[in-house]
Amino acid sequence: MTASSSNRGMGKQVILYAILFLVLLWTLVPILWMVLSSFKPGVAQLSPTPVFFFRPTLQHYTALFTGGNLGAYFINSVLAAGISTIIAVSLGTLAGYGLARSHFRGKQHVAFWIISTRMAPIAAIVLPLFILFRYVNLLDSIPGLIVAYLTFNLPFAIWIMNAFFQDLPPSLEEAAMVDGASRFQAFYRVALPLVTPGIVTTAILCLVFSWNDYAFAATFAGPNSQTLPIAAAQLNTQTGLSWGQLTAIGTIVVLPMMIVGLAVRRYLVKGLTLGAVTGE
Amino acid sequence: MLLPVLLLLAVLSLFPFFYIIWMSLNTVSLINGISFDFAGLTNWTRMFTDVIVGAAWARAALYFVATVGLEMILGVAIALLIHELVWGKNLALSLILLPMFMAPVIVGLLGRFLTDSSYGLYAFALRELGIFEKDILGTSSSALAAVILMDVWEWTPLIVLIVLAGLASVNQYVIEAAKVDGANYLERLRHIVAPSIAGVVIVALLVRSMDAIRYFDIITVTTNGGPGNTTKIIPIRLYETAFRFFDLGYAAAIGLGMLVFSILVANAFVRILESRGLAK
Repeated sequence: MTASSSNRGMGKQVILYAILFLVLLWTLVPILWMVLSSFKPGVAQLSPTPVFFFRPTLQHYTALFTGGNLGAYFINSVLAAGISTIIAVSLGTLAGYGLARSHFRGKQHVAFWIISTRMAPIAAIVLPLFILFRYVNLLDSIPGLIVAYLTFNLPFAIWIMNAFFQDLPPSLEEAAMVDGASRFQAFYRVALPLVTPGIVTTAILCLVFSWNDYAFAATFAGPNSQTLPIAAAQLNTQTGLSWGQLTAIGTIVVLPMMIVGLAVRRYLVKGLTLGAVTGE
Repeated sequence: MLLPVLLLLAVLSLFPFFYIIWMSLNTVSLINGISFDFAGLTNWTRMFTDVIVGAAWARAALYFVATVGLEMILGVAIALLIHELVWGKNLALSLILLPMFMAPVIVGLLGRFLTDSSYGLYAFALRELGIFEKDILGTSSSALAAVILMDVWEWTPLIVLIVLAGLASVNQYVIEAAKVDGANYLERLRHIVAPSIAGVVIVALLVRSMDAIRYFDIITVTTNGGPGNTTKIIPIRLYETAFRFFDLGYAAAIGLGMLVFSILVANAFVRILESRGLAK
């Protein structure tokens, strides 16, 4: 009885892992193929049948940095995504705390406004911003991209930080204030340290969203402010077939985000569902 | 600190919002600087009789239902699979999540690489298996399916992540009790698991829906609406109306139509938050 049921359990697990293998194949083959191709010499690249074994080369990476000006695009990406993230998370933490701890009439309307700002379709936001940026000379500039990224990162950061602060019982801060702490001290010394995972998660998600942006940068960026995703897209059209360089730039764009994204995996659910679902 | 940040958010969101409404009531020209020419409701009346825009909406609806539908089905199925695993659960989830950290533009470019008729790995596999021999992104019948599958590849992991969090919170004692009472897996799924994860699944659906209408990067860098308009969904049509035909006033009217849709999704999202007791 026990033997047959554990046999059935074994059989079930074997089937499950077989299906898992197929799922992983589906997920990972494109990524592995991209990374593999980025180290593939040009000749192997242009073979009509897939080449799996070759002498790895860094030629595509060096070509991108020497001839392709990739260093500058990389810095643009880091500045635009990084600064917008820092501003969004700092302001979002303050406002998120304020929102979580205050009660006023029409609060749900404010909440609704914040969330719809985050959800607004990029194609629709790009239009008015394009004209406004022309008036104030923000086209083709890093500050322009930072402002553009704030349109989605700021509402996101306010909303998520609000959700993280709501999970903290206000009694902790109240106790501190009874002991003589000011409202700001209660926030800074009691509440803030307790939401560190929330701040880190918010920062990483803001970074991922803005680092991965294509539509805003494609509209606003120019020679002075080109970011990595734009460089990747233009590489393909300008020089025709340079899959080696394309896979190299793709690897450079995606690997850092995969690493930081997985680093906060425990809190991703809360961040990506805008606080509606709490994980683990 | 809540108020100053909300004022900044108002500058970032309400100002462009009223500006796009104003744009939609004008003929906006970019020749010799920016000029607005009041046109009343002409952009609006034109939009409601524009066959091309209507077709782009219909295609967007199809694209939306196909991507989000497949992502939900596959996402729930994969989450149920991972939930049943006895070892390697964490590693499997981490690997499955990888695509969702990738810049959509890189997913599109990688998709182009994989389906390239001369050098693409997937094109090669389909050709060798005798399934499909034509240029995948250049053929009307396959281009739409290909861009849908690229989106599904990138975003199914998000659904897996959210649904797994829901599965983790299902009461284990009830499951064990049902097992003792002789309920098989499908019965437990239907009567215990499904009702307890329904809320989470709806959150996943809404989160995915709002992003599905936000992004159009994958199509932009793969087919850009072609071949023969078969992948021209509404944001692509908006973008070319604005930045290829420079008909910005008309594009603004189309953009407002998209905004209405996203506001409906945001509204549904806030409602579900309230029903889950998360909006305080």
